[in-house]
Amino acid sequence: MGAGHTRFGVLDAGPRALIRSAVDAAFASVDRGAERGDVSEAFLATLGFGGHQIGNSSAALAEEAGLVGVPVTRVENACASGGFALRAAVGAIAAGSAPLTLVVGVEKMTDVSNARRRYWLGVSGDTEWERLAGLTFAGVYGLIAARYFAEHGDASDALAEVAVKNHENGALNPNAHFQKAVSRAEVRAAPRVARPLGLYDCCPVSDGAAALLLAPPEVAHRYTDTPVYVDGTGAGTDFLAVQERPELTRFRATQHAAHDAFRSAGWHRSDVSLLEVHDCFTIAELLALEDLGFAGPGEAPALTLSGATRRTGRLPVNPDGGLKAKGHPIGATGVSQAFEIFLQLRGQAGPRQVPWAEHALAHNVGGAGATAAVSLFSVG
Amino acid sequence: MRRVVRIAAYVPAGRSNEVPVAALDEDEFTLGATATERAWAAPREEPGAVVVHLVGDVPPAADWGYAALLGREVEVAHHGSGSGELVRALRELEEGPGGPALIVAAELPERTPERGAAKSTASGAAAVAYLLKSSEEPGPFPLPKGSARGSAVRTTLRLGEPSKEAARAVTLVGDWGGEPGNRRTIERKVPKRTVDGELSVTSEGAYVPRARYLENLPSRWRFIAEACSACRGTTFPARGVCRRCGRADALSPVHLPYDGGRVVAVTTVGKGGQPTEFDAQVEALGPYDVALVELARGMRVTLQVTDSVPGELEVGDRVNTMLRRLYPMEGEWRYGRKAVPAHPSRAPRKRN
Repeated sequence: MGAGHTRFGVLDAGPRALIRSAVDAAFASVDRGAERGDVSEAFLATLGFGGHQIGNSSAALAEEAGLVGVPVTRVENACASGGFALRAAVGAIAAGSAPLTLVVGVEKMTDVSNARRRYWLGVSGDTEWERLAGLTFAGVYGLIAARYFAEHGDASDALAEVAVKNHENGALNPNAHFQKAVSRAEVRAAPRVARPLGLYDCCPVSDGAAALLLAPPEVAHRYTDTPVYVDGTGAGTDFLAVQERPELTRFRATQHAAHDAFRSAGWHRSDVSLLEVHDCFTIAELLALEDLGFAGPGEAPALTLSGATRRTGRLPVNPDGGLKAKGHPIGATGVSQAFEIFLQLRGQAGPRQVPWAEHALAHNVGGAGATAAVSLFSVG
Repeated sequence: MRRVVRIAAYVPAGRSNEVPVAALDEDEFTLGATATERAWAAPREEPGAVVVHLVGDVPPAADWGYAALLGREVEVAHHGSGSGELVRALRELEEGPGGPALIVAAELPERTPERGAAKSTASGAAAVAYLLKSSEEPGPFPLPKGSARGSAVRTTLRLGEPSKEAARAVTLVGDWGGEPGNRRTIERKVPKRTVDGELSVTSEGAYVPRARYLENLPSRWRFIAEACSACRGTTFPARGVCRRCGRADALSPVHLPYDGGRVVAVTTVGKGGQPTEFDAQVEALGPYDVALVELARGMRVTLQVTDSVPGELEVGDRVNTMLRRLYPMEGEWRYGRKAVPAHPSRAPRKRN
């Protein structure tokens, strides 16, 4: 019934100010208005990047949101924290314990030293094997992309197209970290970070926050005539280190999450007309299309190159620019995806509005596929 | 009484003017460990501690590292350097009470010029390991004449040249150097200084506490996996619980092979893509490859690639593994296995 978002990027604001801005915006977005006193439960999604209030940050949320006294639970599943927090809120509402629930995702990443930032970027991966071998997430996704190429052929064009498309979408999003289009040639000429992935295949390190207000349908109707419904959620886990998984090119956590979400919503894949997927690296968008069931194994590159996933295509993917262009403040990302869907399904996305969308999917991954959450939304 | 049953050598692939030079991730412990693995054919029939005599200077890790490397209790003794010390160790062990024993001599003359002098610098970096087992026949070891002087490793390497006497007494294993076309070599500059100062890390590295590092050594150094007799699944790294069926009471250790692994995926980590603890390495050597390697039983391990040209390794290639330095942490070097391409270099390219 409400959603708020800060600018994503390199910001002056600290984590508390970011929380405040996103929560204020969420309250302001409620059509008939809502009071802080109406909220009976809250969830905070954050990694605590760089050591910002790494313990007990729920109390900080209560302070900044004007909710001191209200129970707040922090959810930490790395980059999937937001998706899992949303799922926890939906569960709390379904359990009848929370008539009005607030979900906030936040991360402040750019005010720490370069060395400290790179340390924190790796804390959600496998430390004892992958990191000791010299891998960061870029390296792990580099392995995944290399394996994908070995199994399905060189997909460099499709990876570049993901970057081009998401930058093009990001250019229309006033909240995006990068609001600049790039060409396929620029993407392919960029320095390699982890072969075959280059600089433009990687999402940036960003600050930002997003917030959602959720309520049971009968309550939500008191606040708005056009609520967005959460019809189903699902989540899954996998081994932390990719060396323990039988396959690199499928995220079983995503497959499991999607299976449960579609089953709980009673939807078919063909019902979905808009996707927000976790494209921390361009290869991740291709994997997501396949793992979520919108393309067969090895078919995501062709689907992407056909233009179907562009904002004007038959299945728009990441109209807000995705993590790639909008930015990826870790804890905020999953909540930000729901924010975009809230706008798109209500027709409030302005210049980046997709032509037609009634059913949307949000897909949020933690690390290199060790955790994943999927949520399904509809309107009307 | 013991006698020598096997001698193995390890000569680094790096060459400078045809002289073997060690890579920056090699030291006396890793050189000796590689020679030891080649010599060690686990004498299970002789339980109990293994006596290890180390000839020459070694890093502190050697004091406990050989026990972790062999998965056996080890009694370490130190000798000075040179072939006189090697002969002394041999005599001492041959006359000892029995049980398996090793003599390991590793030399890195180019890193320690003050000790090596010009003569041994010319002979290059290498290591040898002697395996001794109980025997009632005190076989005289055929050391060449005048062997009491000079490098212990070079004295041993001379045995590798065809010698009926040597062949009767011992089995020679490993790289003896100087055999063109027999193995891959890499042109490499001799490091100007010792590496300890060069490869220091920032305090922001991934913190793997020493206790966790030591706890994982059976899997990290020896590739110990766990076979479950309840579901026939295999778990690697070993974690005390079957990853397939979740049972903890039906596991027995299995040793995955060090060599002949297949590359499932490989990436080249470029500048900026490395974890902070590898900053100094990237600064000194440039990008490096990391490969996901399938060892056996479908078990896979993520390994950094060494002794290779970055970007050269491909999916499907075969690799062997060797113990190497990873990075220093908590005041000591951390060691682990790295992958080494098993095929000859595709195109000879220069590398520092």
